[in-house]
Amino acid sequence: MEAIEHPPIFRLPGIPDHVTYTWLVMIILAAVTFAASRNLQLVPRGIQNFLEVVLEQFTQMIDDVMGHEGRRYLPLLATLGLFILAGNLMSLVPGLAGPTGNLNTTAACAIVVFVAYHGIGARKQGVVAYLKHFAGPVPLPLKPLMFVIELISHLARPLSLTLRLFGNMVGGHILLAVIFLLMGLDGLIGWALSGSVVGAVVGGIGGVVTIVFTVGFLYPLKILVAFLQAFIFVMLTMLYISGAIEEADHHSEHH
Amino acid sequence: MRRSLILGGVAVLVFPTAALAADGASGGWIGPFAVIAAGIGMAIAAGLCGLGQGRAVASAVDAMARQPGAAARIQTAMIIGLALIESLAIYTLVIALILLFVKGIQFS
Repeated sequence: MEAIEHPPIFRLPGIPDHVTYTWLVMIILAAVTFAASRNLQLVPRGIQNFLEVVLEQFTQMIDDVMGHEGRRYLPLLATLGLFILAGNLMSLVPGLAGPTGNLNTTAACAIVVFVAYHGIGARKQGVVAYLKHFAGPVPLPLKPLMFVIELISHLARPLSLTLRLFGNMVGGHILLAVIFLLMGLDGLIGWALSGSVVGAVVGGIGGVVTIVFTVGFLYPLKILVAFLQAFIFVMLTMLYISGAIEEADHHSEHH
Repeated sequence: MRRSLILGGVAVLVFPTAALAADGASGGWIGPFAVIAAGIGMAIAAGLCGLGQGRAVASAVDAMARQPGAAARIQTAMIIGLALIESLAIYTLVIALILLFVKGIQFS
Protein backbone atom coordinates (compact mmCIF):
# COMPACT_ATOMS: atom_id res chain seq x y z
CA MET A 1 0.00 0.00 0.00
CA GLU A 2 2.98 2.25 0.42
CA ALA A 3 3.48 1.85 -3.31
CA ILE A 4 0.63 4.21 -4.22
CA GLU A 5 -0.07 6.18 -1.05
CA HIS A 6 1.99 9.19 -0.19
CA PRO A 7 3.60 8.99 3.24
CA PRO A 8 2.19 11.43 5.81
CA ILE A 9 3.85 14.79 6.29
CA PHE A 10 4.77 14.30 9.93
CA ARG A 11 6.66 11.17 10.92
CA LEU A 12 8.52 10.25 14.05
CA PRO A 13 11.67 8.28 13.23
CA GLY A 14 11.55 4.69 14.34
CA ILE A 15 7.83 4.73 15.17
CA PRO A 16 5.21 3.40 12.75
CA ASP A 17 2.85 5.97 11.30
CA HIS A 18 -0.30 4.47 12.70
CA VAL A 19 1.11 4.64 16.24
CA THR A 20 2.07 8.29 15.78
CA TYR A 21 -1.39 9.18 14.55
CA THR A 22 -3.06 7.09 17.24
CA TRP A 23 -1.24 9.31 19.71
CA LEU A 24 -2.43 12.37 17.79
CA VAL A 25 -6.03 11.16 17.99
CA MET A 26 -5.59 10.52 21.72
CA ILE A 27 -4.16 14.01 22.23
CA ILE A 28 -7.03 15.61 20.31
CA LEU A 29 -9.72 13.67 22.18
CA ALA A 30 -8.09 14.31 25.55
CA ALA A 31 -7.73 18.03 24.80
CA VAL A 32 -11.35 18.35 23.66
CA THR A 33 -12.76 16.49 26.65
CA PHE A 34 -10.49 18.38 29.05
CA ALA A 35 -11.53 21.73 27.58
CA ALA A 36 -15.17 20.70 27.77
CA SER A 37 -15.10 19.44 31.35
CA ARG A 38 -12.70 21.97 32.91
CA ASN A 39 -15.38 24.50 33.70
CA LEU A 40 -18.67 22.64 33.93
CA GLN A 41 -21.81 24.72 33.97
CA LEU A 42 -25.44 23.91 34.46
CA VAL A 43 -26.39 25.66 31.24
CA PRO A 44 -23.75 24.40 28.81
CA ARG A 45 -22.20 26.62 26.22
CA GLY A 46 -19.68 26.16 23.45
CA ILE A 47 -17.62 23.01 23.52
CA GLN A 48 -19.33 21.56 26.59
CA ASN A 49 -22.64 21.86 24.76
CA PHE A 50 -21.22 20.10 21.71
CA LEU A 51 -19.80 17.22 23.70
CA GLU A 52 -23.02 16.83 25.65
CA VAL A 53 -24.94 16.53 22.40
CA VAL A 54 -22.50 13.86 21.20
CA LEU A 55 -22.78 11.86 24.41
CA GLU A 56 -26.55 12.31 24.36
CA GLN A 57 -26.57 10.50 21.03
CA PHE A 58 -24.57 7.61 22.49
CA THR A 59 -26.89 7.41 25.50
CA GLN A 60 -29.96 7.37 23.31
CA MET A 61 -28.50 4.62 21.13
CA ILE A 62 -27.64 2.55 24.21
CA ASP A 63 -31.16 3.03 25.59
CA ASP A 64 -32.65 1.91 22.30
CA VAL A 65 -30.55 -1.22 21.93
CA MET A 66 -29.59 -2.42 25.39
CA GLY A 67 -32.25 -0.93 27.61
CA HIS A 68 -31.64 1.17 30.66
CA GLU A 69 -29.06 -1.02 32.37
CA GLY A 70 -26.77 -0.59 29.37
CA ARG A 71 -25.72 2.87 30.54
CA ARG A 72 -23.05 1.30 32.73
CA TYR A 73 -21.11 0.51 29.56
CA LEU A 74 -21.29 4.06 28.18
CA PRO A 75 -17.58 4.79 28.90
CA LEU A 76 -16.39 1.77 26.90
CA LEU A 77 -18.79 2.31 24.02
CA ALA A 78 -18.36 6.08 23.75
CA THR A 79 -14.58 5.85 23.95
CA LEU A 80 -14.45 3.24 21.21
CA GLY A 81 -16.88 5.19 19.06
CA LEU A 82 -15.12 8.53 19.43
CA PHE A 83 -11.69 7.02 18.87
CA ILE A 84 -12.75 5.16 15.74
CA LEU A 85 -14.67 8.14 14.40
CA ALA A 86 -11.75 10.51 14.98
CA GLY A 87 -9.35 8.03 13.40
CA ASN A 88 -11.58 7.53 10.38
CA LEU A 89 -12.00 11.25 9.86
CA MET A 90 -8.31 11.89 10.36
CA SER A 91 -7.44 9.52 7.55
CA LEU A 92 -9.42 11.75 5.18
CA VAL A 93 -7.29 14.84 5.87
CA PRO A 94 -4.65 15.09 3.13
CA GLY A 95 -1.19 14.73 4.57
CA LEU A 96 -2.22 12.83 7.67
CA ALA A 97 -2.40 9.07 8.10
CA GLY A 98 -5.34 7.30 9.64
CA PRO A 99 -4.82 5.01 12.60
CA THR A 100 -7.81 2.88 11.59
CA GLY A 101 -6.30 2.22 8.17
CA ASN A 102 -3.92 -0.23 9.78
CA LEU A 103 -4.75 -3.77 10.80
CA ASN A 104 -3.03 -3.46 14.18
CA THR A 105 -5.21 -0.61 15.43
CA THR A 106 -8.49 -2.23 14.41
CA ALA A 107 -7.38 -5.58 15.83
CA ALA A 108 -6.58 -3.86 19.11
CA CYS A 109 -10.07 -2.34 19.26
CA ALA A 110 -11.69 -5.67 18.40
CA ILE A 111 -9.69 -7.55 21.04
CA VAL A 112 -10.73 -4.96 23.63
CA VAL A 113 -14.35 -5.61 22.66
CA PHE A 114 -13.86 -9.40 22.77
CA VAL A 115 -12.29 -9.39 26.24
CA ALA A 116 -14.78 -6.82 27.51
CA TYR A 117 -17.96 -8.60 26.52
CA HIS A 118 -16.79 -11.98 27.75
CA GLY A 119 -15.67 -10.42 31.01
CA ILE A 120 -18.98 -8.62 31.42
CA GLY A 121 -20.96 -11.79 30.69
CA ALA A 122 -18.88 -13.93 33.02
CA ARG A 123 -19.14 -11.38 35.82
CA LYS A 124 -22.87 -10.90 35.37
CA GLN A 125 -23.86 -14.57 35.26
CA GLY A 126 -20.93 -16.38 36.83
CA VAL A 127 -18.38 -18.30 34.80
CA VAL A 128 -20.12 -21.68 34.83
CA ALA A 129 -23.52 -20.28 33.92
CA TYR A 130 -21.93 -18.21 31.18
CA LEU A 131 -20.20 -21.26 29.71
CA LYS A 132 -23.48 -23.20 29.91
CA HIS A 133 -25.06 -20.37 27.97
CA PHE A 134 -22.78 -21.29 25.06
CA ALA A 135 -24.28 -24.76 24.72
CA GLY A 136 -27.71 -23.36 23.97
CA PRO A 137 -31.20 -24.78 24.44
CA VAL A 138 -30.67 -28.17 22.79
CA PRO A 139 -30.91 -31.77 24.05
CA LEU A 140 -27.96 -33.06 26.01
CA PRO A 141 -26.28 -35.19 23.29
CA LEU A 142 -26.09 -32.17 21.03
CA LYS A 143 -24.56 -29.85 23.62
CA PRO A 144 -20.87 -30.52 22.83
CA LEU A 145 -21.50 -29.86 19.16
CA MET A 146 -23.33 -26.61 19.91
CA PHE A 147 -20.55 -25.59 22.26
CA VAL A 148 -17.89 -25.97 19.58
CA ILE A 149 -19.98 -24.16 16.98
CA GLU A 150 -20.70 -21.32 19.38
CA LEU A 151 -17.01 -21.11 20.30
CA ILE A 152 -16.05 -20.74 16.65
CA SER A 153 -18.74 -18.12 16.11
CA HIS A 154 -17.44 -16.16 19.10
CA LEU A 155 -13.87 -16.38 17.81
CA ALA A 156 -15.04 -15.12 14.41
CA ARG A 157 -16.53 -11.97 15.92
CA PRO A 158 -13.28 -10.05 16.61
CA LEU A 159 -11.99 -11.20 13.22
CA SER A 160 -14.99 -9.79 11.43
CA LEU A 161 -14.92 -6.56 13.48
CA THR A 162 -11.24 -6.10 12.64
CA LEU A 163 -11.48 -6.87 8.97
CA ARG A 164 -14.67 -4.86 8.41
CA LEU A 165 -13.23 -1.61 9.74
CA PHE A 166 -9.81 -2.20 8.19
CA GLY A 167 -11.14 -3.24 4.80
CA ASN A 168 -13.58 -0.37 4.52
CA MET A 169 -10.94 2.18 5.41
CA VAL A 170 -8.13 0.77 3.29
CA GLY A 171 -10.41 0.13 0.33
CA GLY A 172 -11.46 3.76 0.41
CA HIS A 173 -7.88 4.95 0.75
CA ILE A 174 -6.75 2.92 -2.24
CA LEU A 175 -9.70 4.17 -4.27
CA LEU A 176 -8.83 7.79 -3.46
CA ALA A 177 -5.14 7.16 -4.12
CA VAL A 178 -5.86 5.68 -7.55
CA ILE A 179 -8.22 8.53 -8.46
CA PHE A 180 -5.66 11.11 -7.36
CA LEU A 181 -2.96 9.27 -9.32
CA LEU A 182 -5.11 9.39 -12.46
CA MET A 183 -5.99 13.02 -11.82
CA GLY A 184 -2.64 14.48 -10.84
CA LEU A 185 0.49 15.69 -12.63
CA ASP A 186 1.26 12.18 -13.86
CA GLY A 187 -2.27 11.81 -15.22
CA LEU A 188 -4.97 14.00 -16.68
CA ILE A 189 -3.81 17.37 -15.34
CA GLY A 190 -0.25 16.67 -16.44
CA TRP A 191 -1.60 15.79 -19.87
CA ALA A 192 -3.58 19.03 -19.97
CA LEU A 193 -0.45 21.03 -19.11
CA SER A 194 1.78 19.17 -21.54
CA GLY A 195 1.16 21.60 -24.39
CA SER A 196 -0.50 19.43 -27.03
CA VAL A 197 -3.96 20.53 -28.22
CA VAL A 198 -5.61 17.14 -27.77
CA GLY A 199 -4.10 16.85 -24.33
CA ALA A 200 -5.33 20.29 -23.33
CA VAL A 201 -8.89 19.52 -24.45
CA VAL A 202 -9.28 15.92 -23.29
CA GLY A 203 -7.06 16.21 -20.25
CA GLY A 204 -8.61 19.50 -19.19
CA ILE A 205 -12.18 18.22 -19.44
CA GLY A 206 -11.23 14.93 -17.82
CA GLY A 207 -9.36 16.68 -15.03
CA VAL A 208 -12.27 18.99 -14.24
CA VAL A 209 -14.72 16.06 -14.31
CA THR A 210 -12.47 14.05 -12.01
CA ILE A 211 -12.03 16.92 -9.57
CA VAL A 212 -15.79 17.52 -9.43
CA PHE A 213 -16.40 13.78 -9.00
CA THR A 214 -13.86 13.51 -6.20
CA VAL A 215 -14.90 16.59 -4.24
CA GLY A 216 -18.61 16.26 -4.89
CA PHE A 217 -19.07 12.51 -4.55
CA LEU A 218 -16.11 10.51 -3.28
CA TYR A 219 -15.20 12.70 -0.33
CA PRO A 220 -18.76 12.95 1.02
CA LEU A 221 -19.06 9.20 0.52
CA LYS A 222 -15.89 8.63 2.52
CA ILE A 223 -17.14 10.90 5.31
CA LEU A 224 -20.40 8.93 5.36
CA VAL A 225 -18.45 5.66 5.50
CA ALA A 226 -16.34 7.01 8.36
CA PHE A 227 -19.44 7.77 10.45
CA LEU A 228 -21.15 4.55 9.40
CA GLN A 229 -18.25 2.29 10.30
CA ALA A 230 -17.87 3.89 13.73
CA PHE A 231 -21.63 3.48 14.23
CA ILE A 232 -21.54 -0.16 13.16
CA PHE A 233 -18.59 -0.96 15.38
CA VAL A 234 -20.32 0.54 18.42
CA MET A 235 -23.64 -1.07 17.50
CA LEU A 236 -22.16 -4.54 17.16
CA THR A 237 -20.31 -4.08 20.45
CA MET A 238 -23.63 -3.23 22.07
CA LEU A 239 -25.28 -6.30 20.58
CA TYR A 240 -22.45 -8.53 21.80
CA ILE A 241 -22.59 -7.09 25.32
CA SER A 242 -26.36 -7.35 25.52
CA GLY A 243 -26.13 -10.92 24.20
CA ALA A 244 -23.63 -11.72 26.94
CA ILE A 245 -25.63 -10.25 29.82
CA GLU A 246 -29.05 -11.54 28.89
CA GLU A 247 -30.38 -14.47 30.87
CA ALA A 248 -29.81 -17.98 29.69
CA ASP A 249 -33.47 -19.03 29.57
CA HIS A 250 -34.40 -16.79 26.66
CA HIS A 251 -31.37 -17.50 24.60
CA SER A 252 -31.50 -15.66 21.31
CA GLU A 253 -28.94 -15.59 18.61
CA HIS A 254 -27.27 -12.31 17.80
CA HIS A 255 -24.63 -12.82 15.26
CA MET B 1 -16.12 -16.74 -32.29
CA ARG B 2 -15.96 -19.23 -29.51
CA ARG B 3 -12.59 -20.50 -30.61
CA SER B 4 -11.15 -17.00 -30.64
CA LEU B 5 -12.50 -16.44 -27.14
CA ILE B 6 -10.82 -19.60 -25.93
CA LEU B 7 -7.61 -18.62 -27.69
CA GLY B 8 -7.77 -15.18 -26.10
CA GLY B 9 -8.28 -16.69 -22.68
CA VAL B 10 -5.37 -19.01 -23.15
CA ALA B 11 -3.25 -16.10 -24.36
CA VAL B 12 -4.19 -14.02 -21.31
CA LEU B 13 -3.30 -16.90 -19.05
CA VAL B 14 -0.05 -17.71 -20.83
CA PHE B 15 1.20 -14.24 -21.60
CA PRO B 16 2.10 -13.08 -18.08
CA THR B 17 4.11 -16.23 -17.64
CA ALA B 18 6.02 -15.53 -20.83
CA ALA B 19 6.56 -11.87 -19.92
CA LEU B 20 7.76 -12.80 -16.50
CA ALA B 21 10.03 -15.50 -17.82
CA ALA B 22 11.51 -12.96 -20.23
CA ASP B 23 12.05 -10.55 -17.36
CA GLY B 24 13.71 -13.24 -15.36
CA ALA B 25 11.99 -11.93 -12.23
CA SER B 26 11.81 -14.18 -9.23
CA GLY B 27 8.53 -15.46 -7.85
CA GLY B 28 7.68 -18.00 -10.52
CA TRP B 29 4.37 -18.08 -12.29
CA ILE B 30 2.04 -17.66 -9.34
CA GLY B 31 2.67 -13.92 -8.97
CA PRO B 32 0.90 -12.85 -12.20
CA PHE B 33 -1.92 -15.28 -11.52
CA ALA B 34 -2.31 -13.69 -8.11
CA VAL B 35 -3.10 -10.38 -9.82
CA ILE B 36 -5.69 -12.03 -12.07
CA ALA B 37 -7.17 -13.90 -9.11
CA ALA B 38 -7.43 -10.69 -7.10
CA GLY B 39 -9.32 -8.97 -9.91
CA ILE B 40 -11.69 -11.82 -10.69
CA GLY B 41 -12.33 -12.60 -7.04
CA MET B 42 -13.07 -8.98 -6.19
CA ALA B 43 -15.42 -8.71 -9.18
CA ILE B 44 -17.41 -11.79 -8.15
CA ALA B 45 -17.52 -10.72 -4.52
CA ALA B 46 -18.61 -7.17 -5.35
CA GLY B 47 -21.32 -8.34 -7.73
CA LEU B 48 -22.83 -10.90 -5.40
CA CYS B 49 -22.54 -8.53 -2.45
CA GLY B 50 -24.46 -5.98 -4.47
CA LEU B 51 -27.20 -8.53 -5.17
CA GLY B 52 -27.48 -9.46 -1.52
CA GLN B 53 -27.50 -5.91 -0.27
CA GLY B 54 -30.03 -4.98 -2.91
CA ARG B 55 -32.41 -7.66 -1.65
CA ALA B 56 -31.92 -6.55 1.93
CA VAL B 57 -32.51 -2.88 1.17
CA ALA B 58 -35.53 -3.68 -0.99
CA SER B 59 -37.19 -5.60 1.83
CA ALA B 60 -36.31 -2.91 4.36
CA VAL B 61 -37.73 -0.11 2.20
CA ASP B 62 -40.84 -2.20 1.60
CA ALA B 63 -41.28 -2.68 5.34
CA MET B 64 -40.67 1.00 6.02
CA ALA B 65 -43.30 1.98 3.46
CA ARG B 66 -45.82 -0.37 5.05
CA GLN B 67 -45.11 0.77 8.58
CA PRO B 68 -43.58 4.24 8.74
CA GLY B 69 -43.87 4.20 12.52
CA ALA B 70 -41.25 1.48 12.83
CA ALA B 71 -38.90 3.10 10.33
CA ALA B 72 -36.15 3.91 12.84
CA ARG B 73 -35.85 0.38 14.16
CA ILE B 74 -36.03 -1.12 10.68
CA GLN B 75 -33.32 1.23 9.55
CA THR B 76 -31.03 0.22 12.42
CA ALA B 77 -31.57 -3.46 11.70
CA MET B 78 -31.00 -2.85 8.00
CA ILE B 79 -27.70 -1.07 8.63
CA ILE B 80 -26.45 -3.88 10.86
CA GLY B 81 -27.49 -6.46 8.28
CA LEU B 82 -25.82 -4.52 5.51
CA ALA B 83 -22.62 -4.39 7.55
CA LEU B 84 -22.70 -8.14 8.08
CA ILE B 85 -23.30 -8.78 4.37
CA GLU B 86 -20.67 -6.29 3.37
CA SER B 87 -18.07 -7.87 5.61
CA LEU B 88 -18.11 -10.96 3.37
CA ALA B 89 -17.04 -8.83 0.42
CA ILE B 90 -14.51 -7.12 2.69
CA TYR B 91 -12.93 -10.51 3.39
CA THR B 92 -12.37 -10.92 -0.32
CA LEU B 93 -10.98 -7.39 -0.51
CA VAL B 94 -8.50 -8.21 2.24
CA ILE B 95 -7.45 -11.40 0.45
CA ALA B 96 -7.05 -9.42 -2.77
CA LEU B 97 -4.92 -6.87 -0.95
CA ILE B 98 -2.80 -9.66 0.50
CA LEU B 99 -2.35 -11.16 -2.97
CA LEU B 100 -1.43 -7.78 -4.45
CA PHE B 101 0.68 -6.13 -1.81
CA VAL B 102 2.17 -8.58 0.63
CA LYS B 103 5.70 -9.32 -0.50
CA GLY B 104 6.53 -11.59 2.40
CA ILE B 105 4.66 -14.53 0.92
CA GLN B 106 6.95 -16.47 -1.37
CA PHE B 107 5.02 -17.51 -4.45
CA SER B 108 7.39 -20.22 -5.58
